[in-house]
Parts: sequence; structure tokens; C-alpha cells
Amino acid sequence: MNGGRGGPGGGVEVWSEHSVPGPSATNLADLLERILDKGIVIAGDIKVDLLDIELLTIRLRLFIASVDTAKKAGIDWWETDPAMSSRAARSELLEENRRLRERVELLEAVEDGSDDPDGEDGLPPLRLRTRKREYPRR
Amino acid sequence: MTDTAPAPATAHDRPAAAQDGPATAHDRPDRTVATWVFAVGRAYGAEDLAGAAGLSAAPVRPLAFAGLTAVVQDVPAALFGREALTERLSDPGELERCARAHHAVVTAAAACGPTVPMALATLYLGDERARAALTADAGRFRTALERVGGRVEWGVKVYARPDAAGARPGVPAGGVPGPDAPGAGRAYLERMRGVQRAREEGRSSALRTAEEVHAALSALAVAARRLRPHGPGASGERRTQVLNAAYLLPESGADRIAAAVEELRGRAGAGVDIETSGPWVPYSFAGEA
Repeated sequence: MNGGRGGPGGGVEVWSEHSVPGPSATNLADLLERILDKGIVIAGDIKVDLLDIELLTIRLRLFIASVDTAKKAGIDWWETDPAMSSRAARSELLEENRRLRERVELLEAVEDGSDDPDGEDGLPPLRLRTRKREYPRR
Repeated sequence: MTDTAPAPATAHDRPAAAQDGPATAHDRPDRTVATWVFAVGRAYGAEDLAGAAGLSAAPVRPLAFAGLTAVVQDVPAALFGREALTERLSDPGELERCARAHHAVVTAAAACGPTVPMALATLYLGDERARAALTADAGRFRTALERVGGRVEWGVKVYARPDAAGARPGVPAGGVPGPDAPGAGRAYLERMRGVQRAREEGRSSALRTAEEVHAALSALAVAARRLRPHGPGASGERRTQVLNAAYLLPESGADRIAAAVEELRGRAGAGVDIETSGPWVPYSFAGEA
């Protein structure tokens, strides 16, 4: 309505450095748990999924205000973080497993007829049975 | 290149189709602005809110509805649409800036009278839509205003310090034998057992303290809510949070809670930290639960 709203694509500066005189001393985690989790919630026109934001924030470890919410969404990094849980050991195995599986897939792919047995970045050269010339050309 | 030069950035009023660029429906409610709702109270004057910056360059202003007043601001719709805003708020820096801006307006409004804060990102496609939605919930706002009027929220957190296991009873005073020394294995097990025991004792004593603190402060408060404790690692925190709670007290209650916390600190002893924050606008007591 009024104020310095530019035209379309006019590059309005929304949050200037000086636009926030708020008490910056306020602990961010305290603040976020209050304004994301508390306050009155009524249906808005523009639905911003605060859950998404929370999950991201959680992943970034800014805070964990809504562990239950996160759990419902299947986010449970704290259970798989080596620093936080003995379950982590298991997850490290899973991770190693995954890496091995990828490696196997790669090997199989190479065997399927690549001319580049030297593999991709960082991987040692792959010396395989090179029967590739026997495959019929597609 | 030639068809749309950047429009002049001085849109002080809303002339119909005065701007070029992609056609926007200026004859209908302005689709280029959305209405951000910060809080609801009984009455605010425009001058009460003039000092708050909010989220855009537009003024923070009162919006009357159903005998109450919301604190709102126009924000550019293009930057506050669902996707744009979700993306923006997913960036930690932007989230913080937005959170602090929202909080600053809520705090400024609360300085003028009872105020119920809205959750972050309560947005409408214009004032009329905002007014309709707010009016539909007018009853909830009245109840909430009744609850928080003349009151403030204090946050209290209790932490168990990781070093609080204290004197490590299992560790022999004469130092630890090296890995090759005879008896090293047994000494190791002894040590681990001691550490384990101390840790458990520290933990249960911290939890006991948490319950004591909560009971004592709840008795002082008009209302009390337990928030979820922040997990380890939050903000680089190394201590274990065993209580995260909010208490609703009369505005004049600052001294009382300070005195009570001081006494609780004395009783809790070493190894437990009790921290307070506040006074807050009663965010934690705005909603029903």
C-alpha cells in the first residue's frame, strides 16, 4: 500500500540491516521455540509449512523444540549421531554397507561395458575381466 | 529490454494501473501485498506501533476487527508466498532475522497493553481476508487476552553440567596406571564403573532438582507450562537440559521469581545450573495448550 515497495522485480530490500531493533540478546533457541511452537495459531491464507522449517532447523541443530513433531515426521538424527547414541554404531555399519553397495554397483556398471576402467574421481583404477569386446553392440 | 523499464520505487498510494510491468489486478484487492499479522490486542494507536520496523518497509499498523485490534504490516506478496517464504525461513540467517523482527513488533505492541502473539508467518491475502479470519477466532483472542493481561512470562531452564560428576570416585588419587602397567585392565574397569556411577548420581540429582524447581515456581505462578527440553548439541550446548519451563506471573512478579530462583540455586548445589529468561510477552500462554 505504502512504503518503498518497488515495482515488479524492483528488488525491494525487505530486511535491511537496521530493520531489526529487537533484543538481539534474546537466545535464539528460546525465541524460536516460542514463535514457531507457541503463540496463537489460526488458519492463514498463505500456508507456510512451519514443520518443514522446524525440521530444517533441527537438522541444523539450532534447537530441538519439537522432538515429537520431528519423530512423527521420521526425523531422528539424534538417535543416529555417534555423539548422542549407541545406536550410532549400528548406523555407521549401515552407512558402510551403503558405501559398499554403491561400490559394487559401480563395479558392475563398469563391467557392463565402459571403456573407462580407471573409474571416476578418487577411486582406484578398476581392473576387471575385460570381456567388453565380446558384447554385441547395441 | 525495451518493454518494461524498472518501475519507480515510490508507490505511496495505489493508483490504478499506474505501474507497468507484468499485469497485476489493481482493480481487485492488491495482489502484490500480503498482510502479516504479528499480534492481537484490545486497542493500539498507529503512533504506538510507529517505532517498530517489522518485516518490510511498510509501516506496522493497527487493524480493527470485532472490537479488538490486530497488529499488521503489508509485505510484498512475491517474497512472502508459500514457496518463497518457506525457502526464506529455511535459511537459518533469514529465519533468525525474521524471528527477531516478528518478536520486536510483538514486544513493542505488548508495551501498549495486553497482547497475544501470533505464531510466526500468519499471513493473509489482504486486510479483508485477515479481518475475516481474525473475526472468526475473536472468542479465542478474548479468552487469551483475559489470561495474559497484566502478566508476563518467565522462562526457566535447569541444566546438569557434564563435569558435575564431581570427584570421580573411581579414580585413584595416585594417578592412572599406563596401559602396559600390571593391573591396568582392572583399574580401567574400576574407573569406568566410578564414572558411570557418578554420572547416574549426577543425572538423578539433576532431575530431582528440576522437579523441585518446577514445583516451587509453579506455586508462585498464575500458570506454568513445561516446554520440551532442548536436546544436547543445541547451540553448542554441552550441558544436559533437565527442565525447560515457562511461568506466567504478574508484571510485578520479577522480584519474587528472582528471589525464588536464587534460593533454589543455593539448595541445588554444584553441578546444576538454573537460568532464567524474561520477562517475555506470554507466548507460551497465548494458545490453549
